[in-house]
Amino acid sequence: MNIIETKDLTKTYGGFTAVSHLNMHIRKGSVYGFLGPNGAGKSTTMKMFLGLTRPTEGSFQIDGKTYPADRISILKEVGSFIEAPAFYGSLTGEENLDIIRRILGLPRSSVQDALELVGLSQFRKRPAKKYSLGMKQRLGLAGALIGRPPILILDEPTNGLDPAGIHEIRTLIKSLPRQFDCTVLVSSHLLSEVELMADEIGILNHGRLLFEGTMDELRSSAHEAGFPTDNLEETFLAMIDEDNRKGGGRAWH
Amino acid sequence: MALNLEIKKLKRTGYLPAFLGGSLLAAAFPLANMLFRPETFTAMPGRPFDILMDADWQMMAMLNILVSICGACIMYHTEYADNGAQKMDVLPIRAGSMFLGKSVIAAVMLAMMTAVEILAVTGCALHWFPDRIPDAAELLKGLLGSILFQWGAALPTVILMLVIASACRNMWVSLGIGVILAFTLLIFPQDHAVLSLFPFSSPYQTLAAAAENDRVFLFLGVCAAEVLLFGALELIYQKLRRCVE
Repeated sequence: MNIIETKDLTKTYGGFTAVSHLNMHIRKGSVYGFLGPNGAGKSTTMKMFLGLTRPTEGSFQIDGKTYPADRISILKEVGSFIEAPAFYGSLTGEENLDIIRRILGLPRSSVQDALELVGLSQFRKRPAKKYSLGMKQRLGLAGALIGRPPILILDEPTNGLDPAGIHEIRTLIKSLPRQFDCTVLVSSHLLSEVELMADEIGILNHGRLLFEGTMDELRSSAHEAGFPTDNLEETFLAMIDEDNRKGGGRAWH
Repeated sequence: MALNLEIKKLKRTGYLPAFLGGSLLAAAFPLANMLFRPETFTAMPGRPFDILMDADWQMMAMLNILVSICGACIMYHTEYADNGAQKMDVLPIRAGSMFLGKSVIAAVMLAMMTAVEILAVTGCALHWFPDRIPDAAELLKGLLGSILFQWGAALPTVILMLVIASACRNMWVSLGIGVILAFTLLIFPQDHAVLSLFPFSSPYQTLAAAAENDRVFLFLGVCAAEVLLFGALELIYQKLRRCVE
C-alpha cells in the first residue's frame, strides 16, 4: 500500500520547470531514497508535500489526504526536515522542541525522548545559535522526529555531520520503520549514502523521474541499458549523463 | 496557545527591555521639560494635562513609533534569522494565528508604553499645577480616556509595521521602510481630517485636538478599520506567498 503518491506533479517558476510530471509511489513502512544531483527538484518536491509551495499542475496524496484541502491534517502526520535546520536561535534546544511539542499537543516527555534519539540531551540548555553545525542538524532532526510521526520527510539530513554523525543518523533512519512503524522519504545527492539506508529509490534529474524501484531493479535496469553496474555511484552518474545527453535538460517554455 | 508560543519565542531577544526602555525614555521627556523650563508652561492658561500633551506628545509619539518599528523588526527577525518561520510553516498551525499572537503582544506592549507615558504627563500636571487639580473622578476619566485614545490612534501603525516586517526576511529592509515611513508621514498636518488618519501620522493626534474638532469617535473608528484592514492584508499575503514561493 502506498502512503505517498503523486500524479503528474509539476512545479514551474515563470518559464522554468523545477519538477515535471512526477509520478512517485512510496510504500508504507519503507525508507524511500530520493536521489538526484543538486538542483534536480528534490527539495521542491518535498516542499510541495509540506505545503510550502503550491503545485502548478498535478496532485499528490499523503495517507489518502490531498493538498490543499487537508493541509493541516497532512502536517499533523508528517515530521520534516527541509534544506537546512530551522529553529529559534535565542531559545535553547529544549525550548525549541517544546514549541513544536505544544503545537503538536504531545506530552512533555516527548522533548527528552527526541533529544535522546539524536544525542543532544547534554546540550539541551544551550541556546541553539551557539550549537555547532552538526548539533543544529541534529536539532532539526529532533524537530522532525518528535512525537514519532508516521511519515518523515528528510531533505539531505546528514549535511554538515562528521563521519561518525553520518553513520549514526544513517543507522537511525534505517531503523525508524521497524522501531516506530513509520515511512521515511529521504533525499540525497549521493547514491552511496542512499544505498545504505533505502529500501526503494527514485532518481530525479532536471525535475523528471528517471527511475523508481529497488536497488536490485536499478542494477538490472542499468544492465539492460548498458550502464556500468559494478559500482552504483557510476550507474547513477551514467544515467544522469545519458539523460543530459538526450536533451533531458531543464524544460524551458 | 498561539499567544503563549509567541511570548516564549521572544525570550532573550531584548523585546521587553526595548519597550520598557522606550516607555521610560518617553516618560522622562515631560519630566525633563518641566524640570528645566516650568515657567513656560505654568504661565499658560487651560487644562494642565492638555498644555503638557501639546508640548510633549509629538516627541513621545515619535519615540513610541520608533520603538514599535524596532519591536516588529525584532519579532520577525527571530522568525527569519534561523529559519524558525519555515519550521512553523510545516507544523499544523494556521498561518494567521502566528500573526494574531504577535499583534496581541505588540498591542499590549503599546498599551503599557502609552499608560506609562500618560501617567508621567498626569504626574507632572499634578505636581507643577497644584492650583488647577481636577477632582478625582474627572482625573481618572481623563486619564483612562487619554490612554485609550492614544493607544487606539497608534495601533494601526503597530499592526502595519508587523505586516511590513512579516514580508521582509531581511530585518534591515523592514527597519528602513519603517523609519522612512515614520519620518515621511511626520510632515502630514495634524489638523487635516484625512491626512491625520494615516498610519505613522495618527499617533501624533492628541485627544484634546481630536475633541476640539469633534473627531474622537471618527478617529477611533477609522483606526479600528485600519487595524482590521491590515490584518486582512496579512492573511491575503500569507496565501499569496505559498503560490509564488
